[in-house]
Amino acid sequence: MITYVARRVLAGVPTLWGVATVVFFMARLLPGDPARVIAGVLASPEDVERIRKQMGLDQPLWVQYLDFMGSLLHLDLGTSAHTNAPVVEEIGSRLPYTIELALVALAIAITAGILAGIVAAIRRNTWLDLVISGLSVFGVSMPVYWLGLMMIILFAIDLHLFPAAGADEPASIVMPALTLALFSVGLIARMTRSSMLEVLGQDYVRTARAKGAPFRVVVFRHALRNALLPIMTVIGLQFGALLGGAVVTETVFAWPGVGRLLVDSIFFRDYPVVQGLVLMFGTTFVVINLLVDLTYAYVDPRIHYS
Amino acid sequence: MSTKLLVMVTAVVLLSACGGGGTTGGPKQGDKLTVAIGIDPDTLDTMRQTTTTVQNIVQMVVETLVRVDTDGKVQPLLATSWQTSSDGLSWTFTLRSGIKFTDGEPFNAAAVKANLDRVLAPGNTCPLCGPFRSVSSIDAVDDTHVKLNMKKPVAPLLGLLTEVTFGFLAPNTIAQGTDTFKDQEKPIGTGPYVLTERVKGDHVTLSRNDQYWGSKPNYKTQVFKIVPEAATREALVRAGQADVILLPPVSDIPAMQKDSTLKVILAPGDRTIFLGFNTQDPSQPLLQKPEVRQALNYAVNKDQIIKSILFGAATPMDAPMAPTLFGYCKVGSYAYDPNKAKQMLTAAGASNLSIKFVSPTGRYIQDFQAAQAIANDLSAVGVKVDGPRTMDWPTYLGTINVPPARASVDLHLLGWAPGYLDASQAMVQFQSSSWPPAGLATSYYKNPEVDSILAKANSESDQAARQADYCSASKLVWSDAPWIFLWVQRFPIVTTAKVANVQSIPNESFYTMYASPA
Repeated sequence: MITYVARRVLAGVPTLWGVATVVFFMARLLPGDPARVIAGVLASPEDVERIRKQMGLDQPLWVQYLDFMGSLLHLDLGTSAHTNAPVVEEIGSRLPYTIELALVALAIAITAGILAGIVAAIRRNTWLDLVISGLSVFGVSMPVYWLGLMMIILFAIDLHLFPAAGADEPASIVMPALTLALFSVGLIARMTRSSMLEVLGQDYVRTARAKGAPFRVVVFRHALRNALLPIMTVIGLQFGALLGGAVVTETVFAWPGVGRLLVDSIFFRDYPVVQGLVLMFGTTFVVINLLVDLTYAYVDPRIHYS
Repeated sequence: MSTKLLVMVTAVVLLSACGGGGTTGGPKQGDKLTVAIGIDPDTLDTMRQTTTTVQNIVQMVVETLVRVDTDGKVQPLLATSWQTSSDGLSWTFTLRSGIKFTDGEPFNAAAVKANLDRVLAPGNTCPLCGPFRSVSSIDAVDDTHVKLNMKKPVAPLLGLLTEVTFGFLAPNTIAQGTDTFKDQEKPIGTGPYVLTERVKGDHVTLSRNDQYWGSKPNYKTQVFKIVPEAATREALVRAGQADVILLPPVSDIPAMQKDSTLKVILAPGDRTIFLGFNTQDPSQPLLQKPEVRQALNYAVNKDQIIKSILFGAATPMDAPMAPTLFGYCKVGSYAYDPNKAKQMLTAAGASNLSIKFVSPTGRYIQDFQAAQAIANDLSAVGVKVDGPRTMDWPTYLGTINVPPARASVDLHLLGWAPGYLDASQAMVQFQSSSWPPAGLATSYYKNPEVDSILAKANSESDQAARQADYCSASKLVWSDAPWIFLWVQRFPIVTTAKVANVQSIPNESFYTMYASPA
């Protein structure tokens, strides 16, 4: 097992090198002059050139690339061109908020989604199934921007139940997490439903019921456990997506996370922060994929990694 | 109700009204004022700042020699008086005495020199330094007198010195040789507030300086919450979770104006919004004729666009700069007249004009939406309009901020807001020495007469003569029409009815220094 993990981690390195290279070149392909954008429209050409030098953008491309790779080897993500603070500080000050939001949203989505999916599978083709399937489609299709603002109007302005925006109070996380969870709930519910339906039709489930096993045991110990693998894959991917894709939620609810940082940095052509963030997301996905694969081995005793 | 009861009730009401406000006499004191802004401050170092709203916040902590008041006029602040030499090459300021920085250091000429030397230091980034770079040296004559020596006269120096770029941080916190000489993110000043907390992406908190030398503010703390989405800012002020917000969604302004729990302030600003012609394109000879450009000015229905698309958040331009600037004089108007536009176009042989039009999105109030309406107006007088195309701001800048040989569009929408309310910064747009890449005069306008008037005005010490010069230059520019002159944008601020005395300064700044609970 240890060798398996070690091999997977080593295999992640060329992947991340590829991610770093792609983001390096893609950022520089964007039109626009970062030095001018950061200096502002009123700055003199001399100021712009000074900033360009500070950002290292006056060097030939291959020199910039080697500098970037060199710093990465020292685990140095550089300095933000926009704020002059270390990239690690810019990301580090916002990451906890995004992780908190993603975890809470995912917890809601997993609980509600799996339960809903199980209910829909057991009560297949009844009105309950239709309602759950309908709500799942709603969740996946509803634009976050609109839903978030509607929630703010209803729960913050009209009912005074929650803070409209920001991350100041404990209750502030409720609305953004619910808004974010809605998409994942729909996805997880549908995946759970179809996976459960497949398993519930198996012979061993019929045997268990024929043996007189309690309903609860049949559903959870026999059916769900076997249906879990594809559901876990979806959950893993959703967590990765929530970490980076919560931009609209973060913007609408003024939640100070990294999603907004990424979009702002692209608008400001802040290459070091964009590179740092994309690398971080890439690393996260590599780690999550590994964890999901390891969880497979835990859930399904037939799976062995050597 | 019986008459006796009515009399009693009236008496009680009148007596309680008498007893209410009379005792303390001053404005009410408050604990916390929450202001929702749309941008995440990039830097709190006054030297490195480029964004007005961020400067706005730090100005409550760091003070300057002079300040701009709510009418846009220069007033003394840390300097009590000043004089220029007759050749305009040196300025001497008398400083207010007895003032301390909030870390205990004294405010004196040495502190002024340390800060001004810092912004001019060769390795330091000072994007808004601009004309201040003509200052060659700063002398601390004695504790309360500072002399600025210049390589050439800088006529708008006083206005320039109101910018917090030239504010004063406690000298020990910006010592040479330390990291903070290049970047001080925890500014310590002499102002009415002190910076107590900054959470990136979330908020900046200021607390009252109870040792302040001037009038003390009424709110103990002011918190600036970063809320990027305009609709969310509106939600916050409607829910009472923010007391003041900047830049609400413009389309909701009429509804908010009717809401008695809110106060809408359409503060006067200094940002002119215009469409710049490419006046130097050899493949568009028609655009090089002033009559054609004037015709297109008549083609745009500015009043209607301001009413239906900007919801009243602008005033039509009547000069090449905003009325709040020194040097402004009212020059004229290009009142909407599509028939006249068509006639003028035909007379100039331009009935088949075809132009490429670009506009930013979300940079100015309803910019792209207005551009679409303008494209319709131009089509209505027979112009073939390709666009308006839009793109993100850096790409947009990259498209228009190029020398004439690399220009690729005929008409572009742009805004221009001089930070220190002086015509010299506005008329830069019409100086041929400011063509990109040297400056942002993206119309490539060239008029030698205008150039020489501006050169004179920019170094003239006699303010009345300067005013007259800028007025003549404005008249020439107006009739040459290198722009379609659109409007001066207002700066919308919304407060709850529970807060009083929230004011504005006409350079797109809010002024909550002396706000109080209503």
